[in-house]
Amino acid sequence: MNVMQIAERATATATAKMTARGVQVHYGENHALKDVDVDILAGTVTAFIGPSGCGKSTFLRCLNRMNDTVASARVTGEIRLDGEDIYDRRVDPVTLRARVGMVFQKPNPFPKSIYENVAYGPRIHGLTRNRAELDQVVETSLRKAALWNEVKDRLQAPGTGLSGGQQQRLCIARAIATAPEVLLMDEPCSALDPIATAQVEELIDELHTQFSVVIVTHSMQQAARVSQRTAFFHLGHLVEYGETGQIFTNPRDPRTESYITGRIG
Amino acid sequence: MQIDKHILSAFDRDLEGVQALVMKMGGLVESAMLDAAQALDTIDTELAQRVWAGDRAIDALEEQIHNECARLLALRSPAASDLRTVLTVMRIATNLERCGDYAKNLAKRVPVLGDLPSLPGAVGSIRRMTRAVVLLLKDALDAYIARDVAIASDVRQRDQDVDQMYNAIFRELLTHMLEDMRNITPCMHLHFIAKNIERVGDHATGIAEQVIYLVTGAMPDEDRPKGTSLSALTGNPTE
Repeated sequence: MNVMQIAERATATATAKMTARGVQVHYGENHALKDVDVDILAGTVTAFIGPSGCGKSTFLRCLNRMNDTVASARVTGEIRLDGEDIYDRRVDPVTLRARVGMVFQKPNPFPKSIYENVAYGPRIHGLTRNRAELDQVVETSLRKAALWNEVKDRLQAPGTGLSGGQQQRLCIARAIATAPEVLLMDEPCSALDPIATAQVEELIDELHTQFSVVIVTHSMQQAARVSQRTAFFHLGHLVEYGETGQIFTNPRDPRTESYITGRIG
Repeated sequence: MQIDKHILSAFDRDLEGVQALVMKMGGLVESAMLDAAQALDTIDTELAQRVWAGDRAIDALEEQIHNECARLLALRSPAASDLRTVLTVMRIATNLERCGDYAKNLAKRVPVLGDLPSLPGAVGSIRRMTRAVVLLLKDALDAYIARDVAIASDVRQRDQDVDQMYNAIFRELLTHMLEDMRNITPCMHLHFIAKNIERVGDHATGIAEQVIYLVTGAMPDEDRPKGTSLSALTGNPTE
């Protein structure tokens, strides 16, 4: 197969950061996710696409045990982070979520200052020893989130006073302040305008060299733009998972084809 | 192949629109080839003139197809088989435009040949070759519309017959030139014509390969059979 060789994005050498095997999720009677096997590669942006209710967000939430907070949810199967079972009883979900961070659909800054939004994670996880170190983490995180230049003169202003795009970048800065190894993003741009979306996408592209990014998106063009690997979910099944260029030029499964070309799936 | 419709029906209309333009272009090229061969056969300079002038319509269609495809890419962001449809439409339009140029070139030589010694045998061979090539072109375009890999593969195979016809004409012209030096000028013209028609066969093969790419997502990788080996053109027929 010699399709899209030039556009093929280097993922072949990446090792698996997270591995999921036979993952099933039930919400009460509802069987939301059926037997999903996925390797999330290190240093790679992986996009999850699929119609509403296909299980992509459910699966994303399994990766840092966010489903633990849903009373009716039952997760079976195995998910490993660096070979370690994250559903093991000895794993503290709070510590796990510092390693596997999350950014949500709507920007949700804490009702605190810009500085405190970013400093909160490192402080509760005890990642810094003194104020100077904490200042440094806040600055680095805000710089990585491409927000520093816009807010450096008003770090004590409330985070909620920023624009939507800035708030989302603040949430990303907050998520990366704990130096996560994997960053989960659940439709991070759906509430943003095109410019703010482009800034967040640029940020994702820069961040993925430092850690794995997994992004759930309804915009197939966004998946095509930012990811190296794409997984297509449909009715709780992982239908196809492969190199993004291959998925968008020559998908192997007819259901993927129907979905990405905008036909009835 | 995808037979179900897009949720956005305007997308279907756009895709069908560019493909209809390619078919229209194909029809014009087929007629231009046949008319040009007919004009050559009967030294009909008026018909040749019409073929010559008609190439402008083919060029205009190519430009229109490329513009429509650019719009489609920009506005609809086609993916997977839709993307391959747009890409193949563009390449086939380019193939057809070249074929139109060859028909025009043939037509331009008709008045010149009218003033030179006639070679009915060679002209008849060229006419038969033109018919074979036009049939290849037609089959390649039919394969495109039907998304039929079998027909497309058959076109690739049959191009070697055209190559062999070209070799035979080459030797025939060579014989005429050896017999009588006054035949050299018409034979050189007829040779360019034969070579151009043989090139149209290659473009038909190119279109057939686009069909295979459109349907399978990959270009056929094994080398297609070729009837032209250089040894066939040494001018020393061994048989």
